[in-house]
This record gives sequence, C-alpha cells and structure tokens, in this order.
Amino acid sequence: MLDRIAYFVAMITTAVMALFVSPASARTLDEILKSGVIHVGVNPNLPPLGKYNDKNEVVGFDVDFATEIAKMLGVKLDVVQVGSPDRIPFVTSGKIDMVLGGMTRNPERAKVIDFSAPVHTEALGVLTLEGKPFASWKDLDKPDVTLVQVRGTTPIKFIEDNLKNAKVTLLDNYPDVIRALSQGRGDAMIDVIDYAGEFMAKYPVKWKVLKEPIDVDYDGIGVAKNSTGLKDWLNVAIFSLHRSGKTADIWKKWFGIDMLFPVETTPFF
Amino acid sequence: MGYTLQYGQIWPYLPALLSGAWLSLQIAFLAFCGGLFIGTAGAAFLTFGPIWIARSVRAYVVFFTNTPQLVQIYFLYFALPDVGILLSSYGAVLLGMTINAGAYLVEIQRAGFASRRASEMEAAETLGFTRWQQIRYVILPHIAHTLFPPLSNHYILMTLGTSMAAIFGVEELTGVAFNVNSRTFRSIEVFSVTALIYVLMTLAASTVLALLGRSLFRARMRVI
Repeated sequence: MLDRIAYFVAMITTAVMALFVSPASARTLDEILKSGVIHVGVNPNLPPLGKYNDKNEVVGFDVDFATEIAKMLGVKLDVVQVGSPDRIPFVTSGKIDMVLGGMTRNPERAKVIDFSAPVHTEALGVLTLEGKPFASWKDLDKPDVTLVQVRGTTPIKFIEDNLKNAKVTLLDNYPDVIRALSQGRGDAMIDVIDYAGEFMAKYPVKWKVLKEPIDVDYDGIGVAKNSTGLKDWLNVAIFSLHRSGKTADIWKKWFGIDMLFPVETTPFF
Repeated sequence: MGYTLQYGQIWPYLPALLSGAWLSLQIAFLAFCGGLFIGTAGAAFLTFGPIWIARSVRAYVVFFTNTPQLVQIYFLYFALPDVGILLSSYGAVLLGMTINAGAYLVEIQRAGFASRRASEMEAAETLGFTRWQQIRYVILPHIAHTLFPPLSNHYILMTLGTSMAAIFGVEELTGVAFNVNSRTFRSIEVFSVTALIYVLMTLAASTVLALLGRSLFRARMRVI
C-alpha cells in the first residue's frame, strides 16, 4: 500500500516539475515591450555597482542605470540578483533579459553573449596589505606569492597569462576574498578595487592599493545572442544617456568621484 | 531555441576535471578514516564510559548532526582566524568533514555496539579480557558484518559532500567544473560531464566496497 502511494506521489511530482520546465530562450525586444517588464541581472555583492540598503533592497549604480533604461523603454524594472559565476548562464537561458554587474567585455564572453556599447570602464589594480614588499603588479610573479581571487572573474585569465608563477586561491565572492586577505590567507588580490572599497572598510587591517593600474577594460550590458532588437536599441539608449550626462551623474552619485577613464562616446557602434 | 551542444569545447579540460575527481576521492577517504576513528571511540565511550563522557559525546553528536556541514566548515575557515587559528583551505575542509563524519559514525557504531551479544561479553569477562580487548576481539569483528552497509553508504555520501570544498578554494571536481564553466560558459556540457564523473566515481567506490564487504565481512550489499 505504501509503495503505491509513493509511486503516485513520484508521478505527480514529475508531472508538476515537467510543467515548470520551459524551453530556455531569450526574449526579443517586442516580447519585452509586450510583457511590460524587463528582467535585469544585478550583482548585489559589488558595491557601489550593486549593494543592499537598510531595507534589504538592491540599490547602486547598476540599479539606477537600469531604471533609466526601463524608463526609456516604457516598461517596469525587475531586478534579479546574480553572482559572478552564474550571470552569463542566466542571460543565455533567458532567465534575465540583460545583465549588468561589471560585465567586462572580452572575446571569450562574446562567444556566448552579446555586449552593448560600453557603459563604464573599470581599471584593474592590485589590493594588498601594508608591509608587503610589492611595488608593482609585476612583483607578484613569484612562486611564493598567493593571490586570492573571485571565481569566474576576468583577472583570472590575466593572471594565467601574465603571472604564471603565482599561486591562486579561488573563493566564491568579493566579501569572502576581502575577509580572506585580511586574515592573511593571501598576499594580494588583482581586481577592480572600487568594488572592494566597502568591504575593505570592515576590517581593522591596513590596506595598500598599488598606484599603477594594470589595465583598463570596458564594461557593457550583456544580452543573449539571439535577442533580436534589444542590443541595437540599448546602443542607441546608452549613447543618449552618455550624451545627456546622465551616466556621469549616476556614477558621481555612487562612486563619489568622476569616472577615472571616461568612455569616449562616439555616434557609431 | 538557438543553443547548440558543443562537448568538443570542454574536451581539453577533461584531465583537469579528473584530477579534481582524484582530490575529491582523497578528501572523502581521509575524512572517512578520521571519522571512523572518532566514531568507534565515541561509541565505545557512549556504551561503556562514565556518564559525564557519555553526555559530552551525546552533545557532540547532536550538535554536529543537526547543523549543516557547510556551516561547520565555514566556521572553521572564516571564523577561527579571528581568534588566531588560521587553517588552510584543505585543512579546514578536511577537519570539518572529519568532525562531521565522526558525529554520524558515532551513531552508526553505537547501533553496532548495542547489538553485541551478552553471552559473548560474559565469556570474555570470565576469560579476563580487559575492556579494550573485549572491544577489539569480541565486539568489533562481530559487528563489522552488520555495520558495513551503513558505513559504505555514508562513505558514498561523503564523496558527494566534498563538492562544497570548492567554496573554500579547494580545486576538487566541482571547483574545477566551476572554473571550466566560467572559462567556456558551456554550462550544460560542463555540468553534465561533471555529474557523469560523480556517478562513475561513486559507482566505482560502491563496487569496491561491496566486493570488500562480501569477501572480508560476508556482508551482502547492492551496488546499483
């Protein structure tokens, strides 16, 4: 009798699950306009691009920028929280229509998703502790150096290409990496130091940021490869936001300073 | 749908995945051995020890079987440094899994100890066996046959449980899979291959354990 019930329950569960599994595909611009809502992926662990406020809502540069985009499109904004490793699968599967969260544009990612025109820039720097004997990032290319990085971020490829001797420990997110660095689990982190600023303040250690920025990258909005119309519209929208100075205003509001390396706005994409 | 499966893209990463699988097996094996030691000692103390030791073992078991293993390792890795104990990634994961396994194995072993035969224990006592000799020569060999299936089950669970080590920077199978995924973005391909490797690993482990059980302990177990 009991196994009959178990069998029945299993069948019902499978049937219900099958109903919820829908084929994954990205929405076109028309579908987004028709549905009246746009799903945007924001990483809440990247202050000031995305962070939690007192009411546990996600706020930040990304949210404000996405709000402007949604306003221009005339749809409602739905913020979906993503992390570094899962933001690209979310876009390709259509769970979100577009993703921000410091989406650095590089050829590897461009194989799988499409990028809009650059929204902002990011400068890779070295975060280390006071007392460590490093003057520039090239000093890190030694076998007794341990770098602590976030899984799934762009500096990892950079380290593999340029700092072959250093050891790398990969942790899940920025708060964990900064905590690990403050506990002495590594010598340095190579990443965009602006994002780590808020976490760094939480630990009673003396931080040191090496002056020389390693590289400047362009961050755009990531969209799925077959979403017809959205990327082209985004390029036009971003151009007008840059031109009207709105992007610079939102940046100043969240970062406190102007963009270190401004995005040159050209009318061609 | 627009997404084409491309297994060829992750083929070059297969050796990395397999070396990650080897690390998973290592961690599970070492943690299980440590846990087995704790389990046997704990069960012995529970059955024969003074009441205050028995109560402490009981408290240890209740605490560590009712909290998630992930939280336990998180505590060892991120909270201990605040009081001055800095464990490496591998060390924290191994210690956490050992302590966690120990708690579950105390329970399993205790059931085995409880199934000891009173007549055999009396015979051993009359022959002058010390408590330690009673455990080693009378109890353990006779309960090994009954305990083998639950112990091998737990070992399989631990092999799968090593997947959380990736969160702490240990590049075992799941960690390598995450890395390959963030490099190639072929999530479906990477994780289906990883799942297959896990299935093969646990099947291999169950088969070895089943053969071991049948030959050494006369314990009949199903593999699939």
